[in-house]
Amino acid sequence: MAGAFEYRQAREISGAFERYHVKFLFIGKSGAIILGYPDTTQDADVFVEKTAENGRAIVAALAELAFRLSDQDRLEIESGKDFVQLRDGPFDLDLVFAPDGIETFAEAARRAVVVEGMPVCHPDDIIRSKEATGRVKDRESLPRLKAFRDWWAQRQKA
Amino acid sequence: MDELVQQEWIRDFEAAARRTLEERMRYAFIRTYKPVLDDAPFRAFATTADYRRWCEENLPSWLGYGRSV
Repeated sequence: MAGAFEYRQAREISGAFERYHVKFLFIGKSGAIILGYPDTTQDADVFVEKTAENGRAIVAALAELAFRLSDQDRLEIESGKDFVQLRDGPFDLDLVFAPDGIETFAEAARRAVVVEGMPVCHPDDIIRSKEATGRVKDRESLPRLKAFRDWWAQRQKA
Repeated sequence: MDELVQQEWIRDFEAAARRTLEERMRYAFIRTYKPVLDDAPFRAFATTADYRRWCEENLPSWLGYGRSV
């Protein structure tokens, strides 16, 4: 079983994705945590643009990060699935090609926030995607996440 | 939402903001075994709806990935 996701690994994934020109944003609770949201989570979620070129770049970057992928796994990533779970690498990673509640990658990228060089979805987009899932664990966390978004927005203005 | 709860949350946010990102991540990311979910090295779903359906049908409800417990 992989260990918990660490700051060093967040930097490594950002660095590898940048080197291979992967279009990506941290999303979900892991994204909110990078923005400053104090909570716990288990894995990292990245929103990746769904194009063949980006798929190939993701596969190359994941190899550099020591994720073990079969030829079939690589094909699945390159062929444009909506959601991919990786559990055979240095940390658990979900590749989200089509998050609920967000129309396009380009729109989310325009609103994105960069924290220590790491691109993260805007809190409004993280909230939108969690609202759209309808999952129990998201419904339970939304009031506190919205309070964080409001507090965070105030700090950005100050 | 209860005003006292809101105030407590704000105190949490402010306390977190005094820590570095590295410290925040050390406290935030934990690792425990999630049955079924962690039992395959790789899964790919053609659509997000397929993924949501798979979670509903295959994961223990207490993990919270479904729409109801």
